[in-house]
Amino acid sequence: MIGISGEAGNFEVEVLRHPRYVDMEKCIACGTCAEKCPKKVDDPYNENLVKRKAAYVDYAQAVPLKFAIDKENCIYFQKGKCRACEKFCPTNAINFDEKEETLFLRVGSVILAPGFDAFDPARFDAYKYATHPNVVTSMEFERILSPSGPTMGHLVRPSDHTEPKKIAWLQCVGSRDMNRCGHGYCSSVCCMYAVKEAVIAKEHAGDDLECSVFFMDMRTYGKDFERYYNTAREKHGVRFTRSRVHTIDPIKGSDDLLLSFATEEGVITEERFDLVVLSVGMEIPPEVSELAQRLGIKRDESGFCHTDTFYPVTTTRQGIYVCGAFQGPKDIPQSVTEASAASCAASVDLSSARGTETLSVEIPEERDVSNEPPKIGVFVCNCGTNIGGIVDVPAVAEYASTLPFVAHVDQNLFTCSQDTQDRMRDVIKEAGLNRVVVAACSPMTHEPLFQETLLACGLNKQLFEMANIRNQNSWVHSSDPAAATDKAKDLIRMAVARAALLKPLMAKRIPVNKRALVVGGGVAGMTAALGLGDQGFDVVLVEKETQLGGFSRELTQTIDGSNIQEHILELIDRVTRNDKIQVLTESLIVGFGGFKGNFTTEVLVGPGMYERKIDHGVVVLATGAREYIPREYLYGEDERVVTQVDLSKRLELKGASDLKDVVMIQCVGSRNDAYPNCSRICCQSAVKNALHIKELNPDANVYILYRDIRTYGLLENYYREARRQGVIFIRFRADAPPSVESSDSGIRVAVKDHVLQRDIQIHADLLALSAGMRPEDTEELSSILKLARNPDGYFMEAHVKLRPVDMAGEGIFVCGTAHSPKLISEAISQAMAAASRAATFLSQSEITLSVVTATVDQERCAACLVCVHSCPYGVPKINRDGVSEIDPALCHGCGICAAECPAKAIQLNCYEDDQVMSKVDALLEGVL
Amino acid sequence: MIIAEKKPIEEVIEMVKDFRKILIVGCNECVTVCEAGGKREVAVLASSLRMYFMNQGKDTQIDEVTLERQCDREYLEEIRNRIEQYDVVISLACGVGVQFLAETYSRFPVYPGVNTCFMGVTEERGVWSERCQGCGQCILGSTGGICPISRCAKRLLNGPCGGSTKGKCEISKDLDCAWQLIIDRLKELDRLDEYEQIAPIKDWSTERAGGPRRVVREDVRQ
Amino acid sequence: MRLQYPSNIKIVSVPCTGKIDLIYLLKSFEKGADGVYVLGCIEGECRFGTGNLRARKRVTQAQKILDSIGIGGDRVQMYNLSSSEGPRFAEFAAEMTNKIRELGPNPIKRFREKLAA
Repeated sequence: MIGISGEAGNFEVEVLRHPRYVDMEKCIACGTCAEKCPKKVDDPYNENLVKRKAAYVDYAQAVPLKFAIDKENCIYFQKGKCRACEKFCPTNAINFDEKEETLFLRVGSVILAPGFDAFDPARFDAYKYATHPNVVTSMEFERILSPSGPTMGHLVRPSDHTEPKKIAWLQCVGSRDMNRCGHGYCSSVCCMYAVKEAVIAKEHAGDDLECSVFFMDMRTYGKDFERYYNTAREKHGVRFTRSRVHTIDPIKGSDDLLLSFATEEGVITEERFDLVVLSVGMEIPPEVSELAQRLGIKRDESGFCHTDTFYPVTTTRQGIYVCGAFQGPKDIPQSVTEASAASCAASVDLSSARGTETLSVEIPEERDVSNEPPKIGVFVCNCGTNIGGIVDVPAVAEYASTLPFVAHVDQNLFTCSQDTQDRMRDVIKEAGLNRVVVAACSPMTHEPLFQETLLACGLNKQLFEMANIRNQNSWVHSSDPAAATDKAKDLIRMAVARAALLKPLMAKRIPVNKRALVVGGGVAGMTAALGLGDQGFDVVLVEKETQLGGFSRELTQTIDGSNIQEHILELIDRVTRNDKIQVLTESLIVGFGGFKGNFTTEVLVGPGMYERKIDHGVVVLATGAREYIPREYLYGEDERVVTQVDLSKRLELKGASDLKDVVMIQCVGSRNDAYPNCSRICCQSAVKNALHIKELNPDANVYILYRDIRTYGLLENYYREARRQGVIFIRFRADAPPSVESSDSGIRVAVKDHVLQRDIQIHADLLALSAGMRPEDTEELSSILKLARNPDGYFMEAHVKLRPVDMAGEGIFVCGTAHSPKLISEAISQAMAAASRAATFLSQSEITLSVVTATVDQERCAACLVCVHSCPYGVPKINRDGVSEIDPALCHGCGICAAECPAKAIQLNCYEDDQVMSKVDALLEGVL
Repeated sequence: MIIAEKKPIEEVIEMVKDFRKILIVGCNECVTVCEAGGKREVAVLASSLRMYFMNQGKDTQIDEVTLERQCDREYLEEIRNRIEQYDVVISLACGVGVQFLAETYSRFPVYPGVNTCFMGVTEERGVWSERCQGCGQCILGSTGGICPISRCAKRLLNGPCGGSTKGKCEISKDLDCAWQLIIDRLKELDRLDEYEQIAPIKDWSTERAGGPRRVVREDVRQ
Repeated sequence: MRLQYPSNIKIVSVPCTGKIDLIYLLKSFEKGADGVYVLGCIEGECRFGTGNLRARKRVTQAQKILDSIGIGGDRVQMYNLSSSEGPRFAEFAAEMTNKIRELGPNPIKRFREKLAA
C-alpha cells in the first residue's frame, strides 16, 4: 500500500501490485514449475532450514494455492536464460512479461493488519545465534517440530541431525530488554509458546528428553493457560528455572552448548545442553513503521500503533482501524478477536452501504429425477500431465464406460477449465444425465465448481460425486503408473456405485429474525449493543440491575489514566439515545428456546416482574465478572485490609497523604488449588495503584509481594516505571505465602525475601489484596441457554484459538469478562468482535441449512434414548409421539447418532449406510 | 425393561455350526434399548457368523430380520412365509421371545443369542441394574419405593441383617444395602414409623415358588 | 507434499470417525478386505467432541469379534492425526500395509478354494 488519500467514507487507496509471473487464472497448482526449476533458494517459510525453488508456493496450505516466481532468484531474470518453468507448465500460466501495476481502490474504511516480525537475535553476540547451528529461534524450532517442516516432525538438532537429549529455552530474547535492544515491552506470547514447545518436544521424543525453560516471570495469564503451565511442570516434567541466562558458549570438541546463569539463590552455575531455543519476541518491521508514517498514523515509543484504551482498534486517522500485533503484542485468539472488532468499527461507518454491491446468480428450476433410473456421466480429468502423465487415462475412461448406469464418459485435459465446464453443461443436457462423477482432484477445492455446473443444468447439486485420482492416486503413486491406473479404476468404480444411490436433497432455508439480544449491561454489553445498533440492527439489552454499567461502576481509572466513569456515562448516554436499542433493566432471563436466527427468550422485567417474550436472531452474552471476596489475610476482619478495587476508590476519595507503608499481596484467590488460573488483571491493578500512591505521596513506601509479575505487552512499561519510582517488589513462593497479623500499630506482614534469602517484616498502614476475578451469573444462564462453561465457570467459546467469541451453538456469542478475566480495553475489543460476528449473521435475510443432517425413521425408532445420550450437542429429543426427532436446524451432521442407533433407525443424509457401503462393495467387487 | 446381554460369539457358533441356513431374528423392544438384540446387533452377529462360516469353508446362508416384538404372535407371524427356507433360527430376543418364537414355529430349532439377565433400569448408557423380580405381590408402597425382594441379597422383608455395614451389603462393598436405602428413604419421607411395623409373612405363592404363573383378565379377554 | 504411500489403500470418507458403524468395519472384511483402518483426528481434538473416541471403541469391538472368529483382530486398526500431518499419514499407510502383508490375505478369500476341497 503506497498511500491513502481522501477521508473516512471516501478513501482512495494506492496499491502497488508486484508481478508473480504466473497467471492466477491458469495456474492449477500442479507444481510442475517448481519441479522443473533448476534454482534452489532458502525457504523462508521453513526459516531457511531447507531449500525451495525459485518457482514456488509459500506452503502447501497457501491461499490462494497458486505458484509464483521469485524474481530475485530466478535464473532467467538474473541471467537472461532458462525459462524451464514456462516450457513445462501444462496450462501456459507462466508469464515473464507481467509488469507491476498500480491499483487505485475506492473504499470507505481501512483496516491495518500488517503484523510483526520475529526478533532477530543475531545481534546478541553472547548468545552465538549467528555462529552456532544448535542455537535456534523458537520460530525455527516450530518448523523442526512440524510434521510438514524440514525434518518432517522428527526432532533433531541442526548441527548433526541427532536427537537432542537436553533442550533449553531462554525467555525474553528481544523483549523486556531496554539495555540490549531498546524493547521495553513484553511480547506477551513467548512464555506460553515456550511451554507448548517443551511439551510437544517431550511428546515427540519421549520422557527421557530433558526440557528446561529459563525465565524471569512466567506469564501464563490467558484463559486456562495456568492450568497448561501446571500440567507441563507436574505431568510432563518440564523444568522451569527463574534466571536470565547471560551467555551461551560452544563446548569445544562437541556440538553442545554451555549455559552460564545465576540461580534464584544467586549461585553462578553452568549447565550443558544439546540444543538451545531462543524465545524471540515481536517487533514492528521497518516497512510497517514507514507505512504508518506515510499514512500519518501515530505510534507509541516502541513502534506499535497508538490507540485509546476505550477505542482499542481506532487509529489516530479517522476511518482507519487497526488489529493484530501492530496494535500491541498479542496471541492468536486476541488477534482474531481484534480483527472482528476492527471489522465492526469499519462496518459501523459503512452500514448505509451494506448490500449495495451484491450480485446474485439466476439458477434454473430443478429437474425432478426421482423417477428416472440413474444415468451417470463420468468425466475423467488428465489435469495436464498431473494425472495423465502417470495414469493411463484413455484406459480408465474406457473402463468407466463399462460400469453400471454409466451413460456417458469424457476425458478432459483440464476438467475445471471454463470451456470444459461449458461442454459438460451441454453433455449433461444432451445426454439427459441425472448423476455426474468427476474423476480428478480433491472435492475440498473443486466440488463447489462442478456443483455449480450441475445447478446450471437444473440438476440438484447432491447428484454429484468425485473420485480423487490425483491427490489420492497419481501424485502419491507416481513411481508405479500401472498400479496408479488400476487404483484410478477402483476409485471410479467406487464413485459410480455411490453416484447411482444419490438422491436429490433440498437445503432447507430458514428466515433470520434481525434482532439481537444482548445479555448484560456492563461495558462489554453496552459496547456490543452499540456495535449492532450503530449498524442498524435492533437490539434488546437486558440488565439485571436497576442501572447500566455493571462492575465497572466500581472502578475509577485505567492504568494509563483514562477515566472509567466518564466512559460509562458516555456509553449509557449513547445506548439510551440510540433508537435501535431497547434497554430492559431489573430484568431476568427465565426461559430460552429456538435455534440460530429464531430464538425466543422469556424475561421477567422490572420490579413488577412481568413476563415478556423476546424473539431474536442472535444472542450476545456479556454477563461479566466481579472481584473475588477474599477469605485470606484478615480481609473483612481488619478494615485496614482492602482489595485493589477498594484501594482505587480510597485513593480517589481520600488520597494517600496519610499512607506511609502500603503492602500489596498478589494472586489472592488465583493460582491456587481451588482456582488454578491466573486472573490476568491483578498485576497491572497493583502496579496502577502503586503508581497512583507514588503520584499522590512520593514518600510513601509501596511493597508488592508477588509470585510472577504478569504485566504483559505494553503494560510492562508501567512495571518498569513503578520500579523506577521505588516501588519494592518482593517475590514469594506459592508454598511459603506471606503471613499477616493485625496489631494496633499496623498490619504486620512477614515474608521471605528472595534476594536477601531471609525473612523480613513490614508494618503496613494498609494491606491491599490483589483479589482475582469470578464470573457472574454464568451457572443459571448456562443451564437455561444450555451453554458450556470451563471449570472456573467462564463461558466456553467454540474454539479457543480460531473462534474466540462464538459459542458452540450457532448464533450465540460471548464477550467481556463472561469469557475470561480481562482488561476494559480487551473487553471492549471482544464486545465489538461479538457485535461483528453477530452482524455477519443478522445481515442475511435467511440462512441455508446444511443438507448433511440426521433423519429418523420413526417407524423403526425404539425410543431407546441412545441418540439422545450420544449426540454431542443434545439435539435428538423423544417427541410427543414417543419417538426420536432430530431438528435439522440444530443438527451438526457428525453422524454419531446414526452409528450408535441400536435399531438402525437413523440415517445421515449424503452418508446413508447404503451409500457408504456401496463404495466398499464396489471396491471389493469380485474379491471373493 | 428386560435386560439381556449378548452371548459370546463362540457360544453362538457352537450352537449353530452344523446348520446351513440360518435366520437371525432381532427384537425392537427391550433388547434394542439395552443394545443386545436390536437391528444393529443382528447385523453384527450375522456378519460375524458369515465370516466364520466362510473361513471354515462352509457355504452357510445367514439372513437377518428384526421384528417389532417377539412376545406377541402377530409380530411373529411376519416371518411365517419365509421361515420354511431355514434350518435354524437364532433369536436375539429375551428368553420370553425365544420361547414364544420356538412355540410358534415348533418344527424349527430355535437358539438364544442373548442371555436374559433381569428386569431393570438404565443407570447410564452401558450400565443396567436390577429393580424387580416379578414376585406378584408388590410391597413397594410400604418400603418407600425400594424393593427388598430384588435389591436385598437375602430378600429380607424385615431388614437389615447383621451383614449391613456402613450402608453396604456384606456380599460386595459396591452394593448398597437395600434396607439402608429403605430406612433412609422413609426417614426422608418422615414415615420411619412404618419401618417399625413388622412386615407380615409374605405369600410367596404368586412368585416362582407357586410354579409358573399366568395372568388372566376376563374383563378384557376376547 | 505428494509423499508416496502404498497404492493398495483406498479412502472412503465420512464426516467424522464417529459415523463409522461397527457394521461397516465387519462388512468390509466380510466382502474380502484384507485390512481396514480408521483415521481420526487427534484425541481431544474431535470437531464434534468425542466422535473419534467412540470410533476407537468400535474398532476395539471389531478387533475382538475378528479375533474370536479366526479372521484376526489386528487387521483393523485406528490411528489419529491432524490434517497437517502428511508424513504421518504416509507413515500409517506404510505401517498398516506392512502389518497386513505380515498377516497375509483375509482368510475368507480362500473360501471358494476351501469349499471345493
